[in-house]
Amino acid sequence: MTSAAPAGQLHAEDVSFAYVGAVRAALRHVNLAVAPGEVILITGASGCGKSTLALALCGLIPSRVHGELRGRVMFGSAPLSGMKPHEASQIVGMVFQNPNLQLINQTVQSEVAFGPENLALPQPEIAARVDWCLDVTGMAGMRTAAVVTLSGGQKQRTAIAATLAMRPRVLVLDEPLSDLDPVGAQEVLATLQRLARDGGTSVIIIEHRVDEVAPWADRVVLMDDGRVVLDQPPRAAWAEPGPWRATGVGIPDVVQLAHAVPEAFGSRLPLSLTEAADAVRDTWFEAALAAAAAERRTAAGDSAGHLNGTPVGAAPGPEAVPPVLSWDGVSVEFDGKRAVDDVTLAVHEGEWVALIGANGSGKSTLTGLTVGLGKPSAGVVRFRGQPVRPGKVFDHAAQVALLLQAADDMLFETTVRKELEFGFRFRARPENPVLDVPEAVEFFGFAGREEDSPWELSQGGRQRLALAALLVGAPGVLVLDEPTTGQDAQHMRAFLRLLDRVRARIGITIVTVTHDIRGLASRAARVVLLGEGQVRADGPTRQVFAKTGDLIRWGVLAPPLARLQSELLGPAAGDVLLEVDELASAVLAHRPDPARATPPGAGALRP
Amino acid sequence: MMNSLFVQTIIAYLLIFAVPMVLPFVFLKVVGLSGLRTLVTYEAKDTPLHKLDPRLKVLYPVGMGVLSILFTWKFMLIVFGLTILPWLWLKPSRAKIKVLMVMIIGPAIAGFWGQGLYYLPPPPIHFVYKFPWTMAWLGSPGITTYGMIFGLQQTSRVLVTVSTSMLILISTDVGDFTWAFERFKAPPHVGFALTAALRFLPEMIARTNLVLRAVELRGYDMSRPRWHQFGQWPDYARRLSRCVVLVTVPLLIGTLRGTATMAMVADARGFGASKKRGSLHVHKTTAVDIWGYAILGVLVVGALVLNHLGIGARYYG
Repeated sequence: MTSAAPAGQLHAEDVSFAYVGAVRAALRHVNLAVAPGEVILITGASGCGKSTLALALCGLIPSRVHGELRGRVMFGSAPLSGMKPHEASQIVGMVFQNPNLQLINQTVQSEVAFGPENLALPQPEIAARVDWCLDVTGMAGMRTAAVVTLSGGQKQRTAIAATLAMRPRVLVLDEPLSDLDPVGAQEVLATLQRLARDGGTSVIIIEHRVDEVAPWADRVVLMDDGRVVLDQPPRAAWAEPGPWRATGVGIPDVVQLAHAVPEAFGSRLPLSLTEAADAVRDTWFEAALAAAAAERRTAAGDSAGHLNGTPVGAAPGPEAVPPVLSWDGVSVEFDGKRAVDDVTLAVHEGEWVALIGANGSGKSTLTGLTVGLGKPSAGVVRFRGQPVRPGKVFDHAAQVALLLQAADDMLFETTVRKELEFGFRFRARPENPVLDVPEAVEFFGFAGREEDSPWELSQGGRQRLALAALLVGAPGVLVLDEPTTGQDAQHMRAFLRLLDRVRARIGITIVTVTHDIRGLASRAARVVLLGEGQVRADGPTRQVFAKTGDLIRWGVLAPPLARLQSELLGPAAGDVLLEVDELASAVLAHRPDPARATPPGAGALRP
Repeated sequence: MMNSLFVQTIIAYLLIFAVPMVLPFVFLKVVGLSGLRTLVTYEAKDTPLHKLDPRLKVLYPVGMGVLSILFTWKFMLIVFGLTILPWLWLKPSRAKIKVLMVMIIGPAIAGFWGQGLYYLPPPPIHFVYKFPWTMAWLGSPGITTYGMIFGLQQTSRVLVTVSTSMLILISTDVGDFTWAFERFKAPPHVGFALTAALRFLPEMIARTNLVLRAVELRGYDMSRPRWHQFGQWPDYARRLSRCVVLVTVPLLIGTLRGTATMAMVADARGFGASKKRGSLHVHKTTAVDIWGYAILGVLVVGALVLNHLGIGARYYG
């Protein structure tokens, strides 16, 4: 074992940990050093040990989370592993995943003061800490606000402020972005970088959303099966995609693009949109991108009368047939405030529509109305032309299946089979089920596990089960409320593949509410942008994501590739391409003769 | 026709069961779980009441509660009236007023009705409605005038404490409560327990609401029969009771997960690290506080003096 770490440095030395009763260790021989002021991104697939490492780094293992710990965590010469939680928390502070569970007090300032009060500090010191923490997290204007009135991003920043009030030298954040909209996420990341740069606080961010964190990180740590398999500065970490593909962890889109078109980006791997745009601006890449966009515009002109690739004209198009779901002038008020404001929207049979918008923009309220959750203060919601009656959830749940974000809250039975048959105990089985229970067992991968308890399944498995249980009822529409929140790239891809298979099998209409712009929203054929309860944009996904300015105005960041195309081409970007492969192919197809087009030095490897 | 035993029995049946059946329905319809969620939520405002000395706020419901016990009915009305005045000062939100009205009027009606049915004054008894023997064997000879008045008196006594406590709960940050308890030498755990309860009660109610919605979304029939569909009410009651069992598992699992995180957070923020606690809030006594203490003091001392003099005092035995 090594000696004490350098002063001010957090150091995990050969740390292994197994939870009580666990067969396999959650952490295996982990070594990690964190220098003052460093921002470190720790990522990996679900269950790889990231959160366990966080608990070990902040001293809650073994003092509060019991099991067998080997190795030690040091801060300088002080061993964190043996400290009491309140001592360790003044060195390493932990911000947990769910801000709701870690905000104990009623107002923002009480929450931030809670730690210093417990340390029996003098009042002027408590007040000074509260002021500083609220300033640095941008919450000073909301110090007397009640916690229950805060948005997700504000709650997260309050949790960070409350942890900072203990004056830790290192801040560990476990999936701090999971419930935040993209703009809220950027606010939190900017706060964290300010802390590191100006205050010298080391920041460790455990996160699946690598696209968003990558530009802010000094180092990237990849974990797999309890081990650290990669620990390098971001450019070096993503220089070789092999380890990332092997672990199923996502690679930032701009990095993937640079790997797909290396001659355009050179050796300096771009980590952010700005870096990527700077690298290819005024090069053959930009010209090729413009040519590809122009070609797409021409093709779109030729195929006028097509919507989402479906010909409209000879056969009745989506507009000609009644919609499966419609909101006609719908408004919803809560305590005198309009959460949904005069929304008129129609979803047609077989469509896949993504509702996007900032936290509180009215997405979930709007979809809840389709099953009778909530009551419009004006307007009518219709399913296949029939009004949806507020409060009649049982009646409408047979027509519209709503999968809640917390799928665990939708499981009530003792076995997988009983869970799938749950709904049939209260209503008749559908006459022509597209998917009956035995088929659902096979289709969703539960063969051999029919008699298992739902709680023995993985989190992804429980979500699949909740989805399967809804689909055996043969609904006409599937509504998914933030189904990929908190999921790693591998699980998210698996879920998206599952949705594709479901659509291929039963052709169901899907409406998704999501912040996952890169994954889920990009997969939909049509995107509806909500802002302050109103529809701000509605159209084919590639067109809506080209409107990056409008999206930012309403609290949404377009996918990185869409922003890159808008940044380089402006309005001429037209229908943006959202997949790395198609963008790379389009650019390469329009690449001029390399010898003639690439000026000396441009596109060459740069140090 | 009114003299027919059958009609009398029906009327008696309605009188006995109408209130117990209607009150929960009115509560769910007007307040509901989401309304209950706002009941104990602190409303940050810039009113003199919010700035009052937290110690005075802790003493206020206790003092008024004592007064409500000491006095006879007529004096009690004055005490109850006094508890209403600060509400005008606070000007709570409409949502809060709606919930508060149901929470105050509901128990008042229940007490009024219950005592009217079952409180038996000494003879001669004046009945508002005398039950026939077919209902009287249940234990109530009918609704008595004195029983109803007595019920109203008793409920008002309880409502004095309810009203004052609610007023303080929604106008006081829990941090101030904790500070006041510490000044009264109460253990820090009392303040923490109160803090956690007031913070997480609305969360738990919201979560219960969510799980109840989820069970319906999964196809569990929670639809309520119309009032005249008597045959369907037993099935509805059975479905409701079965639903309690169903939602317990996800609620329990979610709560256990939450409390484990909360315990770690409290540890990490140094709760229990020191026997003493500091405080962000240091209350400097203001003129309003002095007036508040003086009024409460005058009320309590005045009540004791009046009681001693036999004015408005209740007699026992």
